[in-house]
Amino acid sequence: MINSRDIIFESPTFARRIKGMLGVDFYRLFHTPLFYIFLAIAAIIPAMVSAMTMMPDPNGNTMEPLYSNVWQIIASTKSLYVIEGIADYANMNMVFIFGGIMVSIFIGHDYKSGYVKQLFTTHAKKQDYMLSKSLVCAFAMACMCITYLIGGTVGGLLVNYDTNVNIGSLLVAIFGKIIMSVGWASLYTFLNIIFRKYFGVSIASSFFFGTGILIIGVAAIVENLSLPTAFLNIFLYGASVNANLSSGIDALIICITVSVAWAVFYNYLGTKILSRSDVY
Amino acid sequence: MNAIEIRNLSKSFRGMYAVDHLNMTVPQGAIYGFIGENGSGKSTTEKLICGHLVPDSGEIELFGRDYTDPGVRVRVGALIENAGCFPGSSVYQNLMMQCINLGIENADEEIRRVLEIVRMEDNANLKFKSCSLGMKQRIGIAMALLGDPALLILDEPINGLDTDGMRIMREILVDITKKYGCTVLISSHILGELEKIATHYGIIRQGKMITELSAEEMDCRAQVFTSLKTADMNGAFSALSKEYADVRCENGYIRIYDVDDTAAIVDYLMKNGHVVSEISRNKIGLEEYYIELMSKKEVE
Repeated sequence: MINSRDIIFESPTFARRIKGMLGVDFYRLFHTPLFYIFLAIAAIIPAMVSAMTMMPDPNGNTMEPLYSNVWQIIASTKSLYVIEGIADYANMNMVFIFGGIMVSIFIGHDYKSGYVKQLFTTHAKKQDYMLSKSLVCAFAMACMCITYLIGGTVGGLLVNYDTNVNIGSLLVAIFGKIIMSVGWASLYTFLNIIFRKYFGVSIASSFFFGTGILIIGVAAIVENLSLPTAFLNIFLYGASVNANLSSGIDALIICITVSVAWAVFYNYLGTKILSRSDVY
Repeated sequence: MNAIEIRNLSKSFRGMYAVDHLNMTVPQGAIYGFIGENGSGKSTTEKLICGHLVPDSGEIELFGRDYTDPGVRVRVGALIENAGCFPGSSVYQNLMMQCINLGIENADEEIRRVLEIVRMEDNANLKFKSCSLGMKQRIGIAMALLGDPALLILDEPINGLDTDGMRIMREILVDITKKYGCTVLISSHILGELEKIATHYGIIRQGKMITELSAEEMDCRAQVFTSLKTADMNGAFSALSKEYADVRCENGYIRIYDVDDTAAIVDYLMKNGHVVSEISRNKIGLEEYYIELMSKKEVE
């Protein structure tokens, strides 16, 4: 016997759709250990890096200090696209490497568990998925930047590094890097959409892009040819490096522009790919 | 209005058609049994309806709207292949995520409601990974039931379940359709179980819809026959062939098709000197009909 009823279909607005999707992602973020583990990693690593180099050996000697100033743990002293020493590289930019791995695991679990089927069954618009993941992962990476700042500052103070800094530049560097999380998270979400069927490849690709090897390589060539390096700031890694302890407000504007532009680009591309291909 | 209307739908993987110009109509409020052997295209069709796969060609309409309309898709609940839950999260957390996703306001109440329907109200705090297969399937149905779906798509929900699990699942499905009146598309290999609940059937083979029929039509097609044994099978067969139109010797029995008056048959045989040692009334059900249909297609 057929049992039918009158059904009213109301198309949810974009705001309602994205609220639902963001709600799920934030709920997952806060109710699983992954986020807290990565927050802890982001805090512990800078503290360890700063402390370890200052530990005396059996003869009482310490290694050459990695940094001379607490805030070098957060950002380099100038725009160094090509690394001159490990201290130029080991700063808050490392969050974008851990963050990439976190995003891969976060999105990978959607596919591994099959939960993504629930999302795509009820959300016809693929844009919802792409945008929500990018924003939630950007939030997670921004939080990692903050715990990195706390861990690095505490570690640096404990080993008595110098604290002199241009406060304005420091704020530009911190906020610049936090803002860059939006662009980086969109890149990682995009990579995980492309490699959604290959969990290992998506982690490897996120790590590869996060290290900035491509831009470092290009920068090495550019510097060898004595060409201007400013154009490297249009890339995520370049703009992230450009937010440093000698930056002005222009670096912050560059960070906002570059981060948003790449976020829009990757979201657009990711949505197109999801809309035109089989999602599960 | 039809809940699902599919026209000329095709989907291929590496040049091989998984769904081949399929047409399908599921009336609103029906329990549609979607039948076919492994690899016939059932799951692919269901994934296409849910938007998990992109069709090569064809049209899918849900309740008269294009299937990509967010308004209609938000009212679709699905259990395809597995429940799609996070193993490390509890049953409650998994259901809560879906409630948030659907924008359900009284989430706790809604979770309690669906857990009661699937008889799992005492297991809300259990981790999904520690649930049995039967429980996982029921949680999958609970997930699909959240938010008052107008259409439920269930892919092999009774596969792998023990007898008791199957019984519970059948009761749940009957409950859902009776109480909530949603349209259900259910694929299964266990035709005996499907026959007990389905109002419509669609039989698919190699990605093509072979036939669609209602339970009433199925009943009309279902042939009745009387099956019997006597000491002299050859003599009885000759005698019955003179009296009845369709008499066959099958599986060690004499079968008289479209006749279920056993008393008349026994009487007739007695008059002709044959003593009946065994007699029964039978009906060709969905399973036999399906096998017959498949064997016909194989010959073609």
